[in-house]
Amino acid sequence: MANATEQKPAPRFVRADGPDKVTGSGRYVADMSLTGMLHAKFRYAGVAHATIDKIDTSAAETIPGVVSVLTAADVPDVIYSPVVPDRRLFAQDVVRFEGEIIAAVAATTPEIAQQAVDAIVFEYTERPVVDDLEAAMAPDAPLVHEDWESYAVTGDTPRDRNVATFSSIAKGDADAGMAEADMVVKGRYVADGCHAAPIEPRGVLAQWEGTKVTIWTSTQVPFDARNGVCETLGLASNHVRIIVPHLGGGFGGKCGFHFEAHIAALARDARRPVKLVFSREEEFIAPDRRRESMIVDLETGLRSDGTIVARRGWVAVENGAYTADAAFFPQLAAMHVAGPYKMDNVKIDASLVYTNRQPSGSVRAPTAPQACWACESHTDELARALDMDPVEFRKKNAIDTGDTGAVGQVYDEIGMQECIEAATSAIDYGKDLPENEAIGVAIGWWPSFPGPSGAFVRLDADGLGQIVTGAQECGTGAVMTLRQLAADELGMDPEDFQIIYQDTGVGPYDTGATGSQTLLNNGRAVVDAAQQIAEQLRVHAAEQLEAAAGDIVLVDGAAHVAGSPDRSIPIPALAEVAAEGEQLLGKGSGTPPAYPDIPGMNCVGDQGVAAWAAPQFSCHAVHVRLDPDTGVTRVLNVSCAHDSGTIINPIAAHGQVEGGVMMGIGQALTEGTQYSDDGRQLNAALLEYKLQTFADLPTITTAFIQTPTTEAGPRGAKGLAEAPNVPTAAAIANGIAKLVGQPVRKLPMTAERVWEASQ
Amino acid sequence: MSDPTFTIATSVDDALAALANGARPIAGGSDLFVGARQGKAPLPESIIAIDRLAELATIEATSAGTRIGAMVNHATLMTDPTVVADFTAIADAAALVGSPATRNVGTIGGNVMNGSPAMDTGAPLVVLGATAHLQSQNGSRNVTLDELWIGPSRTSAAPDELCIGLDIPARPERSGSAYVRLEYRRAMEIAVVGAAAHVALDDSGNLAEVSVALTAVAPTILAVDGLDSLVGQSVDDSTLASVAERASEVATPISDLRASDAYRRHTVGVMARRAVDAAARRAQGEQIAVPVNRALGIGASA
Ligand SMILES: Cc1cc2nc3c(=O)[nH]c(=O)nc-3n(C[C@H](O)[C@H](O)[C@H](O)COP(=O)(O)OP(=O)(O)OC[C@H]3O[C@@H](n4cnc5c(N)ncnc54)[C@H](O)[C@@H]3O)c2cc1C
Repeated sequence: MANATEQKPAPRFVRADGPDKVTGSGRYVADMSLTGMLHAKFRYAGVAHATIDKIDTSAAETIPGVVSVLTAADVPDVIYSPVVPDRRLFAQDVVRFEGEIIAAVAATTPEIAQQAVDAIVFEYTERPVVDDLEAAMAPDAPLVHEDWESYAVTGDTPRDRNVATFSSIAKGDADAGMAEADMVVKGRYVADGCHAAPIEPRGVLAQWEGTKVTIWTSTQVPFDARNGVCETLGLASNHVRIIVPHLGGGFGGKCGFHFEAHIAALARDARRPVKLVFSREEEFIAPDRRRESMIVDLETGLRSDGTIVARRGWVAVENGAYTADAAFFPQLAAMHVAGPYKMDNVKIDASLVYTNRQPSGSVRAPTAPQACWACESHTDELARALDMDPVEFRKKNAIDTGDTGAVGQVYDEIGMQECIEAATSAIDYGKDLPENEAIGVAIGWWPSFPGPSGAFVRLDADGLGQIVTGAQECGTGAVMTLRQLAADELGMDPEDFQIIYQDTGVGPYDTGATGSQTLLNNGRAVVDAAQQIAEQLRVHAAEQLEAAAGDIVLVDGAAHVAGSPDRSIPIPALAEVAAEGEQLLGKGSGTPPAYPDIPGMNCVGDQGVAAWAAPQFSCHAVHVRLDPDTGVTRVLNVSCAHDSGTIINPIAAHGQVEGGVMMGIGQALTEGTQYSDDGRQLNAALLEYKLQTFADLPTITTAFIQTPTTEAGPRGAKGLAEAPNVPTAAAIANGIAKLVGQPVRKLPMTAERVWEASQ
Repeated sequence: MSDPTFTIATSVDDALAALANGARPIAGGSDLFVGARQGKAPLPESIIAIDRLAELATIEATSAGTRIGAMVNHATLMTDPTVVADFTAIADAAALVGSPATRNVGTIGGNVMNGSPAMDTGAPLVVLGATAHLQSQNGSRNVTLDELWIGPSRTSAAPDELCIGLDIPARPERSGSAYVRLEYRRAMEIAVVGAAAHVALDDSGNLAEVSVALTAVAPTILAVDGLDSLVGQSVDDSTLASVAERASEVATPISDLRASDAYRRHTVGVMARRAVDAAARRAQGEQIAVPVNRALGIGASA
């Protein structure tokens, strides 16, 4: 069993971007304007699947005020995308989803640009729309990409026709296990796709100086954006500079490279700065980052003593028309339908399936909320079949320190069982409730993603600090926490540091605000850089205080000789001396924590997410009330427990859990993309795509199980941005199922679907 | 195309003159402008703003009852003592509109004249027997709401007629009203379905008057007929079941993104039953705070 370590008192400091954001003084891309700037609009296909017969821009080009009109013919013919390169900047020959860009216009006003876009003649012949995941996998299904066999693919993943990638988990012998079982429970769970829906519709502004371009853009991943521009426009990496002013949220929707190259190409052609600002509708339809729809079939063999003997699973994950970063989703989804449980015999097959709809991409904990919802709904069905309390079932079957999971990874020190205990006891699970109320419980897990990252730290002559990092802040507060890490290493105050960030021309490489990795990786880099300065300070102080450098401690803004606090010198005084010679400059990256081995794993199509470094665990217990006459569910109270390792900034950590829970409630109850039969989004607007509001906010309490973790981030932190989004919908589902008498089986569990299930 | 014009009226006469010249009135703009931005209809060429006409923003006793000025906003309707005490269903409805910002901007005149079948103050006004007071340079008239609304977003008012206010007859003794709405979330919601009820009780506590109107289940707000047989009955389960059944029966809902017709037909009955129940309890003197949706947890939303 892991030990829950004492929580340190919360350090309280104002996050550096907070005042800007709440007072409105913060600048976003849409607020920017440059001399001579033009405005961009895109012409979208507007049809889900068609052969292009003609694109005629001549009428658009003659409209006064129109400066540039670009199509596929005007940019290098580059097929891009990580893992499965299958798309171009502009459609060529075939359009494969309604939001595909066929042309881009730059004009003196947004209205003229729109007029020009409307004047572009686009003639096409419709093709059959592929929009059903199961039908798409049939041998005679129409193909989304007829030339799929010609696409270069990196990594080892089986592909077939509309199946872009495939992964399986196989351990033991699922057939034999099933034959041994005392009972077998089966279920199908179908989740709609949904959206990240950040409050800021994205903006991109590009300006060329000679052969170099600067692009201000609302991206979560500046270096990915830069690489995308370089790849598609054939530019050298040091000729492209990506700067992100404030980012108005992302939730994964702004990961990946999106529209930066289109705008850079327009600006180069027009020889003037060009700005794009999306409407809300475009924010829904165009980006290749929405949460994937999914079908999950599960079959579990049980022994009558309440243990799991075998599991079979079949998962279809929607890829959409092009492969953004969804290539690894099947493996991730397979891990989540296996869940954090002990089981010896497992066979799960998961496919990423092309459709003629918007591409899927990493939205906060990709695949996990849906797959966890399926797995955990199924888990409650297992408990019901055994006539066992679902929490007891989880305590019996969930992994604990030292256990082996579904892929054969052996888990060191983990807090899974403690999370179950903490979340359920805080909500008083088992207490008497009114007739229409219930508490549903679900557990979840999520990997940490070690990776390369860099940062500079410097102290200027006055002793004030500057952190220069390639990291990106998407609202999680992780970048803000870097000040705390640097300050702690140097015995200084977080307020003594400013951060220069989200600028590829200035900061060293970082993966960006993705994969909950900022604190884990960039935190390590900042600590490394700050330690170098600490060492410099110790050497200076040792000289001044006539002591050994090893005896100097940095605390309360000064260097002291250990054991004699009166022999001290303030850090600014040391900084002043250093400024005259070798400056106080640290450059850090550190060594990423190692991925664990998984002996005996037998997975096909490994995309690197079967063995999880520093895995995070969670349990949510949700008190719901159901209006049985209408099917409307209200979430009253959510009790969360998370093992995300050491919590470094508790204010930010609680914020992550609360936000994740709200997003989870939305996915559980009201958020789902609806499509017409011809593959178009029907609710691409905030009136019909129902996000949760503050008025819907339940009581949320969080316990952090701070399991000591060695192969993790600074001080044993594992990261926390995605984990809280994993089990909420599942826990709500289990509360509803108790009241309805059976699972709803469709996500979101809208009022109407709940009402139907209870009929 | 001539340049669009935007004029601010400083008097009702000003406004009427502008309307006679082809201008469209704008009150809070929360339907007109938002609709234009969504591409429902382009902005009118000529707009006359009536939001500074203080004389249209009052709630006053008249010989026949009460006049709620067209410019009274939802934030006022949900808290005004007269509205809360005597026309409680209107306060219930106003309290559910959009967000605090929407309620401070949106007006009852705009809500009524916009004529959406999903408008929230519509069903309460119908059950309370309100008429719209319209005025043009040629004179004024009162029209029943049934005459006013002729289709989705269509009214029988002439383009040069300004809605001055809504006239509501005095409330009978031992009466109460309520409005409930089915909502999937607790703010920024549009009625999936809704129902208003007005109930007056006789000395023995049985129904003396009962009227019910429905939101978002027909091309316009729908008054439920055929409830006369309930007069004289007590407000018990079987009476409420008849209300629900009748409401579901007369509804002609559509299927759209928000709900299927079958689900709407079912839930509008549930809403009607709950509205009558709450109205009757208020008629008996029970204090049910505005809005009923929050007080009683309609749609599990307490
Ligand atoms: C975010 C949001 C949420 C909303 N939520 C709700 C809701 O929950 N429930 C609901 O019912 N509505 C809702 N609405 C719609 C709208 O706010 C209301 O209908 C509001 O009452 C309209 O009033 P207004 O003063 O803004 O109307 P305006 O937009 O100014 O006018 C609406 C129409 O009425 C005409 N008009 C206005 N005043 C007069 C007058 N005195 N005489 C003649 N014609 C007139 C205008 O010409 C226009 O055609 C919402 C709107 C938004 C933007």
